[in-house]
Amino acid sequence: MTAPLVEARGLTRTFPMHAGPVHALRDVSLRIDPGEYLAIRGPSGCGKSTLLHILGCVDTPTSGTLIFDGRPVGALPDAARSALRLLSIGFVFQRFFLLPMLTSSENVEVPQAEAGVGRRERRRRTAELLDYVGLAHRGDHRPAQLSGGEAQRVAIARALANRPRLLLADEPTGELDRATGEQIALLLDRVQADGTAVVVVTHDPAIAARAARTLLMRDGRIVP
Amino acid sequence: MRALAFAARSLVRQPGRTALGILGIAAVGALLFDMLLLSRGLVVSFRDLLDSVGFDVRVMSTDAAPLGGPRVPHASAIAFELAALPAIAEAVPVRLTDAEASTRGTRPIGFSLMGMDARGRRPWTLTAGRDLGRDAADTPPSLLVNRLLADALKASPGDEIAVRVVCAADRAALPPVPFRIIGVAAFPFDAAAERSGVASRASLAIACGGDGGDDADMLLIASREGYGPDAAVAAIRRHRPDLHPATNDEIVARMQATGFTYFRQISAVLSTITLLFGFLLITVLMTVSVNQRLAEIAAIRALGFSRARVAADVLCQSALLVGCGGVLALPLGIALSIWLDAILKAMPGIPSALHFFVFEPRALMLHAALLSVTAVLAAVYPMALVATLPIAATLRNEVVS
Repeated sequence: MTAPLVEARGLTRTFPMHAGPVHALRDVSLRIDPGEYLAIRGPSGCGKSTLLHILGCVDTPTSGTLIFDGRPVGALPDAARSALRLLSIGFVFQRFFLLPMLTSSENVEVPQAEAGVGRRERRRRTAELLDYVGLAHRGDHRPAQLSGGEAQRVAIARALANRPRLLLADEPTGELDRATGEQIALLLDRVQADGTAVVVVTHDPAIAARAARTLLMRDGRIVP
Repeated sequence: MRALAFAARSLVRQPGRTALGILGIAAVGALLFDMLLLSRGLVVSFRDLLDSVGFDVRVMSTDAAPLGGPRVPHASAIAFELAALPAIAEAVPVRLTDAEASTRGTRPIGFSLMGMDARGRRPWTLTAGRDLGRDAADTPPSLLVNRLLADALKASPGDEIAVRVVCAADRAALPPVPFRIIGVAAFPFDAAAERSGVASRASLAIACGGDGGDDADMLLIASREGYGPDAAVAAIRRHRPDLHPATNDEIVARMQATGFTYFRQISAVLSTITLLFGFLLITVLMTVSVNQRLAEIAAIRALGFSRARVAADVLCQSALLVGCGGVLALPLGIALSIWLDAILKAMPGIPSALHFFVFEPRALMLHAALLSVTAVLAAVYPMALVATLPIAATLRNEVVS
């Protein structure tokens, strides 16, 4: 049996609100193996994105333990969590969040530069990634000059820039039409097939159906 | 892409706001630069003016400012004694008074008349005609006038004019005495609209009917090379403890402690206010910019950018805005200082060679240092905003909105 890439035990996340605390996650435990394709589904407000944020180390659980690649994440200082995200976790957002002042190539280069990759290697890797997502010819274009599907493909290339072991996608097709969403789904299939674990939060049953495993969430819990 | 390049791209992305920020800082920086030039401008200019006439010590009868106290009696004898001291190269008594000049059939024109025994150093520059000679026995007495007085009298070198000297406030007016204009000269202490002239002290005494003939308002002293003004002052104090010598530096220091402090205080107050405006301008611009880019910042934090890195981006943006504005401020400030200098110099009694705004390298360095501090301080709040940005909550809010 292989060691898990991510192991979550008894995660809870409570948001203090004026009207009373909101329990976004309640005792969630899960395991993600290297190279696994996991989909998380559920109605709005069920805690999918909160779980994804905790798995991606951008949020901390109120209680519970998260272990990434054998390392407890909870005890890490912010700088170490940033480094972990930079080198081991890729994020794909519903609204892409490409940096508008940079070209597609530069958007893909930015995380590599932050990781200290040399210029020549960055250029090579960026060209490889843009080719991988089918946008080799769009490297000099800015996000405003790209369609939604193209922008999301650039965002996926950016997420893969530092060869992460885990790719987290939060409603990656939420802003796209069906045909473009299908292209993104195919691309995520390919990423997973190439060895990166993929976790997709989605409302779309068609996207979820492509995953090897689907977790259904309701009221902050994983439905058995 | 490092923080500076990243910041530059972010600024270029918002050209309107960036241009406004840079122009705002340029305006604030120009005012700041001018205030720094003003804070020491008069002091530097006054010292230059004193030094320009070739004498580095003034001797008065009291500690009052030059021309502000009683006259020095027996000035010729004192000058002779002092000139014999080893530390002193030259000692020249000077008397200043008001006078009126007229040519035949014209109305008298008032002017400032200096009585000075011309020797080696002469605190004026001859521009036409010939200079005063060492021999004061010309008949009629010789007179150098400045261009304004020559033009007002419509006189030129060689012309004879009548001069009535105001010898003492409590004395009846004396009849005019003929003087011959032998040359036209520029006097460094003249105000822009001032008419002035210089004659020998002996000539002035003649015009005064022999009254107070050997008095002087002060003695101009040139220290001997290798001794310096401090040695000259010490020698005078030893030899004539009743006299009150002062080096140019001491005179400047006295002026700095009295009249010039107003300019320094005004400069300090206005500098502080302009810096505050610059600080607020950049803080507001950066804060608005950061608030508009919260989701983008949260996204790059999620991608692995550290807190320090996103804060550095903000700091670099602030530094670029202030840096570009600060550089633009220099030519703007210089142009503004020339204009303001001309306005201030139009005040009556201000020597035309005196400047209120004087460039010094230290002003430039202080300008750069103050703007740098402003850039850092202005970036503190927006840096804190991005460094403490809750990533997950910001991403969640962006999707919900």
